[in-house]
Amino acid sequence: MGHGVELLAALNLRTLPEQLANGIFLGAIYALIALGYTMVYGILRLINFAHGEVYMLGAYVSLFASRMLGFGPTSNKTDSSVVNLLIMLTASMIVCACVGVIIERFAYRPMRAHSRIASLITAIGVSLLLQYGGALFLPSSPPPSINEKVIPPVYRESSRIVLQAPPAELQRDLDSTQTIYLDAKKKYDFYMSTHQGVGEFDLAPDGQALHDKYKASLAPFNAAQAKADERSVVITVRHADIIILVTSVVLMGVLTYLVMFTKSGRAMRAVSHDFDSAALMGVNVNNTITFTFVLGSALAGAGSMMQATLKGPPLTTFFGFTPGVKAFVAAVLGGIGNIPGAVLGGLLMGVAEDFVIWLGYSNYSDAIAFVILIIVLLFRPGGILGSSKVEKV
Amino acid sequence: MLTRNLNYRLWAGAGLLAALFLAGCKSDSGTGGSSSSTTGNTASGSIKIGLVAALTGDLKPWGQDSQSGAKLMVEEYNKANPDKKVQLLVEDSTSKPESGKSAAEKLISEGCVVVLGEVASGISAAMKEATTSKQVPQIAVGATRTDLTKDSDYIFRVCYTDALQGPVMAKFAYEKLGLRNVALVTDEKQPYSVGLSDSFRTAFTKFGGTIVDEQKYNTGQTSFSGLLTNVKAKNPDGVFCSGYFTEVGPIVKQAREAGIQKSVPFLGGDGWDSQEIVNTGGDAIIGSYFCNHYNNKDKSDAVQSFLQKWTAAYGGSLPGTTMGALGYDAAGVALDALKRAKSSSAKDLRDAIDATDNYHGVSGDITLKGRHGDPPKRAIVVQLTEDKQQTFVKAYTFEDVFPSTAATPPAASTPPAAKK
Repeated sequence: MGHGVELLAALNLRTLPEQLANGIFLGAIYALIALGYTMVYGILRLINFAHGEVYMLGAYVSLFASRMLGFGPTSNKTDSSVVNLLIMLTASMIVCACVGVIIERFAYRPMRAHSRIASLITAIGVSLLLQYGGALFLPSSPPPSINEKVIPPVYRESSRIVLQAPPAELQRDLDSTQTIYLDAKKKYDFYMSTHQGVGEFDLAPDGQALHDKYKASLAPFNAAQAKADERSVVITVRHADIIILVTSVVLMGVLTYLVMFTKSGRAMRAVSHDFDSAALMGVNVNNTITFTFVLGSALAGAGSMMQATLKGPPLTTFFGFTPGVKAFVAAVLGGIGNIPGAVLGGLLMGVAEDFVIWLGYSNYSDAIAFVILIIVLLFRPGGILGSSKVEKV
Repeated sequence: MLTRNLNYRLWAGAGLLAALFLAGCKSDSGTGGSSSSTTGNTASGSIKIGLVAALTGDLKPWGQDSQSGAKLMVEEYNKANPDKKVQLLVEDSTSKPESGKSAAEKLISEGCVVVLGEVASGISAAMKEATTSKQVPQIAVGATRTDLTKDSDYIFRVCYTDALQGPVMAKFAYEKLGLRNVALVTDEKQPYSVGLSDSFRTAFTKFGGTIVDEQKYNTGQTSFSGLLTNVKAKNPDGVFCSGYFTEVGPIVKQAREAGIQKSVPFLGGDGWDSQEIVNTGGDAIIGSYFCNHYNNKDKSDAVQSFLQKWTAAYGGSLPGTTMGALGYDAAGVALDALKRAKSSSAKDLRDAIDATDNYHGVSGDITLKGRHGDPPKRAIVVQLTEDKQQTFVKAYTFEDVFPSTAATPPAASTPPAAKK
């Protein structure tokens, strides 16, 4: 093991487990969005370009929901609980489902009898309408963000999973330097709390002494930390990421149940298999399509609520563009039209992205999506789990 | 039947779109955008100065502040010089370079002898093409990109350049914070961020520090766990984020959650200057430092009297961004030059602006004489403190950072060819 690390000096194998975990957490969101693309394609053979915008609207719904719950931009409320997050999640999923249904009813259904390219262009049109039209009504400048206080504090922390502990003597060094550091920091913080209004750089001599001691204790602690890190393997997991993963898995489980074990799910699979025959057999095609949009859009809403709340990005009406494109690639990668394929594609995309970052090429983390897309289209046009049957156009 | 039905719907859709479009135009002009809003004397004899500001779009908060600042200065000037009033024409750049350029062209065709703006480097650079070809002086408000003034004699600015911000933060990090191993986090889609990271790296390594890692991301990215894992593995004692507040907030927040301790400070440039950063960054960003042009908490007379005028004119609220002060100063430099100019022609005004010597602005003293458009400004380091405000930490003059400035000859300002 030790030799391997030296041979691959440029690569830090000790961060690989954490990067893989990061990739899976990232991929879970891609998978949730990709499911919406793939289900609609499976049924209508339509690439729903407005899906990313449904995702964007979900983020705004979460924003408004959090404000209604009393967590406005300047609020200092701290008594949040999981209930608030669940309310936001439900609101986002319900509104997104409605938006998805409205888009299908008024934009795609009228075009269904026409050539497929007409629907595709309509989808692009709806996407642009929501991006630019939304900017007229939704706050986007300055871009608002969800107040982090709506997340209970414990979800804003992280846990360390130690895969390989550092050697005992390094750990002892680390502990002792940490004790000195924390002690010095405590004294300095206490001094600062009793001397309000004094800046860090204009301290009285007694304060300066404490400040210097605190700074001096930091360097050995950092050095000990670095040494210990070189000999240990630790995965730091943000609790927020665990929530994202668990929620995604639960939602995917619910989806699997709905698609595989309910009547509506059977209708969906029938329509997807053969649109016209299903209609002839008495399947209500319109209702089935509506149901598909409800499922896909609600999943996008769940994904955007978690992303917008737990990662804290500012929102604009273009919030859904990049995730939408990446999830679309994920759907194609897994085999568009194939539900497990979308999940697999999403996870692969997430892991690929973080793998590229791990290799040291963080500037290519976005490009990797398109490289993968090109490779997949060249060698397996149907995607990893998709049918490679050539379609007659 | 179906086609007729469809036709009907298409028309309805087109009508809806048209209505939305009109609504959009209307709301633009509502914010004082597309139609020229005027201040002071509207008599045809008065001198016109133009301002291009991002009144809509992504840069709205900065653009509107720059407009409020410039208006304040022009009103003040008109009150003091009732016999020689100036008129301020404002055009909206919609936060886009191409619209900024056509806005500048429009202002020039309406007879403006100087064009102020913009708050961003990209838009200012596009405007420069229009002002340079028409030989009308331009005073950029908040454009810090270093090479902006390089190939034109008609563009000036009232802010410092990125070539100053990087060294200021490097000096502060090395000397005041005692940092030795710093990691860079750069937004590679923004030339501003790339340039600032480069100038920080150069200065910091010159002081003797080490850049232990550089990680890159793209504007609009929301998840940064991958690059933060890499940063953490290098155990830096400080992190320099040269991007804009929109991504820096989530980066710092996610960094703390990912286990980068509070003892590792985050630093940045004036791209952090927005009240929004304390929202997106949350508790995690409190304690971070960045470089700014000006600070509301500055106790100097210039700043305090400016804030008094501002609150009196704009309903009691303080300027939300630093562009209020810079817009005020940009208009101030133009009007100061107007007093000294031989005539109020664009050419004479250009020469007078180029001769500005030690103009006392709110954001510090501005000297353009012999500096080819780039004033040697002071920069201040501010800290985001518990009260969610920017607290003044330390000011650096141009000479603090470039002590050998006397040894290196200032970029020669070639006088404009005396053709017309």
